[in-house]
Order: sequence, then C-alpha cells, then structure tokens
Amino acid sequence: MITNYLKIAWRNLIKNKTFSIINIFGLAIGLASFMLIALYVVDEKSYDKFHVNAENIYRINSNIKFGGNHMQMAVSSDAMGAALKADYPEVLEYVRFYNSSGSKLIKKDNEFINEAKVAHADSTIFDVFTFPAIEGEAKNALNEPNTVVITETAAKKYFGTTAALGKILEIKDRNNTVYTVTAVIEDMPRNSHFHFDFLFSMDNVDYGWGNFVSHNFHTYLLLNPGTDHRQFEKNFVQYIDKYVLPQAQQFMDVASMEEFESAGNKLEYSLMPITDIHLHSDLLVEMGVNGNIQYVYIFSAIAIFILLIGCVNFMNLSTARSANRAREVGIRKVLGTEKKSLIIQFLAESVFLVFISLTLAIVISYASIAYFNDIAGKDLVLIDLMNPGILLTLFILPFLVGGLAGTYPAFFLSSFQPISVLKGKINQGFKKSHLRSGLVVFQFATSIILIISTIVVFLQLDFIQNKKIGFNKDQVLIIQGTRVLETNADVFKDEVAKMNGVKSASFAGFLPVSNSSRTDNTFSTEPVMTDKNALSMQIWNIDYNYIPTLGMELLEGRNFSPDYGSDSSAVIINETTAKLIGEENLIGRKIYKNDGNPGAFTPVTIIGIVKNFNFESLRQNVGPLSFQLGYNKSAAAFKIDASDASDLISNIENKWKAMAPGMPFSYDFLDESFDQMYRAEQRIGKVAMSFAILAILIACLGLFGLATYMAEQRTKEIGVRKVLGATVPSIVSLLSLDFIKLVLIAAIIAFPLSWWAMNSWLEEFAYRINIGWWVFMIAGLSAILIALATVSYQAIKAAIANPVKSLRTE
Amino acid sequence: MIKISNLEKIYRTEEVETVALNKLNIEVKEGEFVAIMGPSGCGKSTLLNILGLLDDPDAGSYLFNGIEVAHFNERKRAELRKHNIGFVFQSFNLIDELTVYENVELPLIYTGVKAADRKSRVEYVLDKMQIMHRRKHYPQQLSGGQQQRVAVARAVVNQPKLILADEPTGNLDSSNGNEVMQLLTDLNEQGTTIIMVTHSEHDAKFSHRIIRMLDGQTVMENFLA
Repeated sequence: MITNYLKIAWRNLIKNKTFSIINIFGLAIGLASFMLIALYVVDEKSYDKFHVNAENIYRINSNIKFGGNHMQMAVSSDAMGAALKADYPEVLEYVRFYNSSGSKLIKKDNEFINEAKVAHADSTIFDVFTFPAIEGEAKNALNEPNTVVITETAAKKYFGTTAALGKILEIKDRNNTVYTVTAVIEDMPRNSHFHFDFLFSMDNVDYGWGNFVSHNFHTYLLLNPGTDHRQFEKNFVQYIDKYVLPQAQQFMDVASMEEFESAGNKLEYSLMPITDIHLHSDLLVEMGVNGNIQYVYIFSAIAIFILLIGCVNFMNLSTARSANRAREVGIRKVLGTEKKSLIIQFLAESVFLVFISLTLAIVISYASIAYFNDIAGKDLVLIDLMNPGILLTLFILPFLVGGLAGTYPAFFLSSFQPISVLKGKINQGFKKSHLRSGLVVFQFATSIILIISTIVVFLQLDFIQNKKIGFNKDQVLIIQGTRVLETNADVFKDEVAKMNGVKSASFAGFLPVSNSSRTDNTFSTEPVMTDKNALSMQIWNIDYNYIPTLGMELLEGRNFSPDYGSDSSAVIINETTAKLIGEENLIGRKIYKNDGNPGAFTPVTIIGIVKNFNFESLRQNVGPLSFQLGYNKSAAAFKIDASDASDLISNIENKWKAMAPGMPFSYDFLDESFDQMYRAEQRIGKVAMSFAILAILIACLGLFGLATYMAEQRTKEIGVRKVLGATVPSIVSLLSLDFIKLVLIAAIIAFPLSWWAMNSWLEEFAYRINIGWWVFMIAGLSAILIALATVSYQAIKAAIANPVKSLRTE
Repeated sequence: MIKISNLEKIYRTEEVETVALNKLNIEVKEGEFVAIMGPSGCGKSTLLNILGLLDDPDAGSYLFNGIEVAHFNERKRAELRKHNIGFVFQSFNLIDELTVYENVELPLIYTGVKAADRKSRVEYVLDKMQIMHRRKHYPQQLSGGQQQRVAVARAVVNQPKLILADEPTGNLDSSNGNEVMQLLTDLNEQGTTIIMVTHSEHDAKFSHRIIRMLDGQTVMENFLA
C-alpha cells in the first residue's frame, strides 16, 4: 500500500511539473530564509554568554545631565570599582578597561603597525571573564607593569607562533614602552561585545588616579551569585554622596545632590547585565558597535512571515489541486479504501513534499550564506543550525506545514460519496474559497509592507547622506596617525598643502564623525561655577585652517587668525551653546573654562559662533560644542580636487615614507567615515530589500499557480463567454480582476501597518524624513503590476485558446 | 444564407491524420430548419463549429450571407458571430456562477446593448421561454429541461438569424426534449434559420431536411415536410 501511495505521489509530482516546482521551490525559499535568519537571531542572542560567570557580570553605566549636556555613557570613573568592592560584599571583583588612545603602534621587525584592538586592563580580567590561556597562565599575567597578554592571532602575526611567552613588544608612544608577553590566550569569541588582541597592564596608564568625577573607564563588576542587581543599584545613591559629591564640591558651589538635581541636573549609575549589552546598549563610548534588539525583532518577524508565505503557497496550491484528485479518491473508495487510509495518504504525500523542500532549502541556504553574511555583517556558518531549538523547529515544521496543507484536502475529499466524486460534481466547492483568498491577501500584505519598509529605509539613508550637515564632507582626505611625524608634522602638512590638487590643509584630530576623538570640558558663564551656570560641552582643539577646510560656516564673529595675538584665550562656540547661554550679542563675552583643577577657572572670550554641524550620528541632536586654538596632530585633513585623487594619494604616501620611515600610512575620506556611521541602517535596508524581493517572488509563484489553476477551472466558462462574443481583453480582465481585488485589499491592510512600523523606526533619528503618500502609491502599484504580470500570462493563455476545445470536453 | 463548397478540415496529431471534413458541399437557405445526422466521428460537430465560426476550415469556401468568411480572422469571426449566430449545446454550457437572468443577459453585454434595453429584452425572452419565475436562480438549482430553456433563451436573446444546436435534447428526458424541440420549431416559424446536429430520428423529424454524414462527407439528403 505504501509503495502504491508513494508511486501515486511521485507520479502526481511529475505530472504537474509547474505546480510541483512552485510548491517545492516556494516553500524551500521560505525555509531557507527562515534558517538563515534563525542563525542570525541565535547568534545575536548568544553574545557574551560564553563567560562562565556571564550571569553575574555587570557593566556600570553612567547617566549624567549637566550644563546643558546629557550623556549616557558606558564608562565610569577610575576609582568606582575599587570603592564599590571595598564597601559592598556583594561585589566579588571588578575589572576596568582603558583604551582612550584608541590604537597603538606596535613594532614588528622594522615597521610599526597600527593596532586598533588594544586596551589596558586590570589583572582581575581573568577572574571576571573567561578567556582561556594557550600559553602561560592568564591569572596574574597582568599583575606587573610592562606586561601584555596577547591572543593567538596576535602571537602568530608578530612572532609566527603561539609560543610567545617572554617575548617583547615595543610600542611607539612617548616613552617607547616595551612590554613582555606573559600569556597567550585564545582569540576572543566572535560573539563577544569587545574584541582585543592586546591587553596591556593597567599599571602603564598615565592617569590622575582616584578621580570620582571623570568617567573614562569601562568597569565590569562580578557580583555574588544571587544578587539582585536592580536592588544593588540603590546603593549608588549612598556611593555618590560618599565619594562623588565631596570631589564635585571642590569644583563647584553645590550643597547637596538634591540641590544639584533640582537645577535640572542628574547623576545616576546603573548596572547592565553583560549578556544584555550587545542587543540593548547604545551609549556613548561603547567598546564597539553593538547590535540592536529592534533589528533582531524585525529579522525574526521577516523570517516568520517569509516562511508563512511559503507555507501559504503550499497549502493554497495543494488544496486547489486536490479537486483534480477527486476521481482517484472516488475509485479508491469504490474499491473499498477506508476513509482513514485516504486521510493518511494525503497527509503523507504532503509531508513527503515538505521534506523535499526542506532538503532543497538546506542546499539554498548553503549556497547563499556567503551573500547573507555579507549583507548582515556576520560570519555565520551553517553548522550552527545544530542548535536544539532550530533543529526541533526544522524537524517539526514539515509535519506541521505538511499536516496543515494536507488536512483540508484529506478530510474534504475523503468525506465525499464516491458516486458524486466520480460524476465530477464536486468541483464547485473548490473554485472560490474565502480561506484561499484570505491567504493570498496575507501574502501580498506582507510583501507590500516589506516593499514600503525597503523604500523608507533607503529614503532615510539618502536623506542622511544628502542632508546639510553643517560641514562639507566631500573631497576631504584624512591622513591618520600624523602624530608619529613628531616635529615634522607641520612640515609634512605644509608640503602636502603645496601639492597640486590640494586646496587647503589643517590638522584635524577631532572630526565630526563618530569614532573620532572627543573631549568634554566644563565651563561656566560666571567666574564661580554653580549647578545652574555650568556648561558641559565638547571642546575641540583646531588650527586656523580647520573651519575652511571642513567647509563650516560662521554665523557671527570670525575664525581664529594669526593676526590676533589674543586668540589663544578665545573660543568659537556652536549654535547650541549660544542658545544655552541664552543671551544676545555673545561676541566678546567671556565664559570660564575649568582647567582640571578644583576651583581653577580661566576666562576665555567668545569670538565666533559656528553654524551647528552634526558631529555625531543623525540619530542624535547637535550638542553643545566649542573650538579653541590648539593643535591635535593625530590626523591631518586636506580638502582636495578629487579628479586625480589616486595620484595625489601616492604622492602623499611617498612624502610620508620619506619623513616617517617604518610608520604605517593610512588615510580615509571623510564622506566614507560618515557613511560608516550608518552601516546598521544600510544593512537593514539591504536585508529588507533582499527579503522583500523573496517575499514577492514566493507570493508571485503562488499567485501564478493559483491563476493557472483558476484558468483551468474556468475553461468552460471562458469558452462559453467567447462563443457568446467575449473579446480577449474582456476575458483577461475578467480573470485578472479577481486577483487584483485581493491585492487591493492587501494594500489597504498593509498601508497603516507599514506606516506605523516605519514611523516607529524613524523615531530613532533626530533628523528624519516624513513618509510621503507616494511611497504607498508606489508600493501598492508595483504589487498590483507584479500580480497583474503574473496572472495575465495565464489569463491571456486561457483567453486566446480556442473555445471549441474547452466545450468539446463535455 | 449558407453555402459551403469543397470544405476540408483535417486534424493532425503526431502520428495520425484524421480527415474530419472531406470536400463537403452544403447549402442552407434562409428560414430553413436542417438536421444533420450521422454516427460519432462523422464530422458533424466539426461542421457545426465551422458553421458557427468557432473554428476555421483548412480549405474550401464558406459563404455566409454571400460573404466569404472561411479565412476571417478571430476578431472578425467573433464580430459576425455575436450578431448573427446563437448556440444551443447538449450540455447547456451555462455559467454556474451567474444567475439565469445574468446568463441570458451575457450576449447582450458583449454586443454592447444598453442596460435599459437589456432588461426588457432579457425579460421578454425569459417570459417567452416560461422561466421568468426562475430568473434569480443559479443553473444548478434548475432541472435539465429548465437549463436548456435558459440556454435557448440565451441563444435567441440577440435575435440571431441563425441558431446552431448541437444535440439540444441529448441530456434531457423525452418530455423535456419535446418541449425544447417545440421551442426551436416556434423560433423557426418566426423566421430563424436553424441547423441542428442530432442522433435522434425523433428530433430530426421536426426539421425540413435531414443531411446524413459519414466520414466527413454528405451521403444522403432527405426532404421532409
């Protein structure tokens, strides 16, 4: 009996090739999308769980609102960890990371290589985190100054072997410090929220230790298992009163935290579980680019919907086709088959098809994982599908989908009286099904939502890229690491400035893109700072040419100029700062800058107001900022004429090599760094587009199948209409209209949903587009056009067929 | 009205060539009632399809009202067909999704009759066929005889000059069959030319003339009446 079932199943598959292909292929694409996205989601959720203590590690976050600036930061003060450990027994250990200099130049043979994955860490790092050592013993490895722990990758890169214990690394810094390798650890896992290849001893950091008011360290606490971290956070009030307030009072006239807060200020600390950081943390000074839980939700939803669309096709086509099996069912019944075994036959067939799809889906995922990794910015491997959750889903799915698709025809057909089945009287019930129409509406609504989302994401990206950001990011070449030129830095800059195609040149250690240096400083509008007159803002050291090179605009006053000897005590402020001060005629006004020592304020004169420019992502509003005359020679910016950029760059490189032999030459363009800030959005755009195309493709496959089926079912009707004088166009529109109606209903459902979804996404941006009505029009029209194109092939084919043939069959 | 000469129609499949019509000559005058008889496969349905401009011949001439239509293209054939020819089929060929009224209305829509005129004309024929009371029903809700009356109503609603009937009583019992034959006779008496394919000698007796076919050729003509 089983062989008979399989034989029939197989022959049906072969006989209806179009349907089989649509059925299997559509579902396979859905399953493949599901698998890839499931991998992505599982990976995103796995971050930092590899630490043995993962459940008890927390990062201290700071939330500071002061002087017109609101900063939510991933860093805390240098002394906080030790103070907490001393005062509260729940704190078993703490570890700090310090990597404010960003990168280090490390000597390999005769060249220096710029390494970005570097940090100074406390020796307790290996008590808190789990980074197994390959060579040496990690514990205590950083106890002494001038020690460094490196990863396997770094060891191989610098020494060609992991046996690097006792070897020496020379760093290009002020003292040309030499470090000894005391341990080699495994590479930090991909799913860690930080990745360092070099961990240097904290003892080598030159810092004004014991400072409770400056926040420059990433601090992680290991709490006693069972500690409620929300409960523990209540201790921070006590901590602030005991340690932070006394130090703050040395700078500022404030009596208590209540007074500080009543002036609209805020100082709060919180603990973030380490396993939450990757998906839930988007603060200032993160250790790297984190993920975003929102995108995990979006991706999950897309995966589920694409899978559903595939399943819907499968069910729709299976049920539609089942009418054609009526004769077989009738004959089987006449020959004495029981209803039960018919049901089993249909269900088994359906499950069999799903298994074929699943096999194909695995092949498709295997073939497309590289592309998916590329657009999603991941390094996923298919073997990770061996996750119990995914495996279980993949195992249950065929039975579920196959069962759902098979149930309706199984029970419907098997319940018929053999005589009426054989007489072909059951076709009626299959022609129009509300369920089937509903499923088509669902498919197209999903597709339209994806189309709209794709358009909106790309419009917003385009908006960001072309927004007037207050500076000119085009054709600005940035040469990194010019600090190593030391005394030659000015010569280098001036020589490059003279080259053909260079319009202006400036040192630019601070740049209006993220991942550039930042310095916060405290000012006050009166000689004595109180909690009310304080100004907390960015202060950037720039030179005379910085503003023209970056194309910034002065609204009032003037730029720094060598003609004025007094400019060393002058500042140029941005519009936001001007608004915070809240006075007219600011040019010539003095404000007071804290130089880092308690109570020591230096007056500086405002000489200009620069038009607001976006120096962080456009997700944020422009904060207060000021320029002072000074040099930060860590990078140089050149406004160039891009027509011969490659020649120019090689000329600059030659100059560099002559002046700084052995030092790494690296450059980038400001507009590219700017675009880097929106990588996540570009990714979501590409992913949405890819899956929108897939969703439409699968939905159209299904629609094509249904249209074919409907045209077949209505052959007689079409024949009659043609005999009575119907024209080909009238038949085509008759057949197409039914489907177009469904797509229209889908559009009506999709519009408000996608409007709502995309509006909440856009809320994240301080600078955003409004979704125009035409976006919906385009999405709706393209869905209709695609549906029409799909259906019309079958409709035209049916319409031009000779009616004699269809009527003869009676 | 109809004059066909040397008409040929050949069906080809990969291996077999079947001659359905073999140099056929037939003439039908306006107002005639002609029955075509012959065994299965003799070519009578093919002939009817060609006469009804549903199919085109491979060779020969077909004069319809003095116009050569043998090589008309699809559009011209449809145009001529919808204004001049009505069809009645053995299996009724009503559209299941449309009501009696809508089925009968269909040819008028395709010939572009205005909605107001359509109503009166449909109601007129429904009344004449005595199925007015069933106008809101769907075909499945009717008996075979009633369905065929609807089909006849649909065939005549456009007042065609020619009605082609393909075994109109084939699916009906004898009393319903007689009713339908009586309808056709009445129509013929009012001036409509009728060509009917049938297996039934009984039905054939309603006609003026019987053309007997075998292997795509006429073998005999009997004049009745």
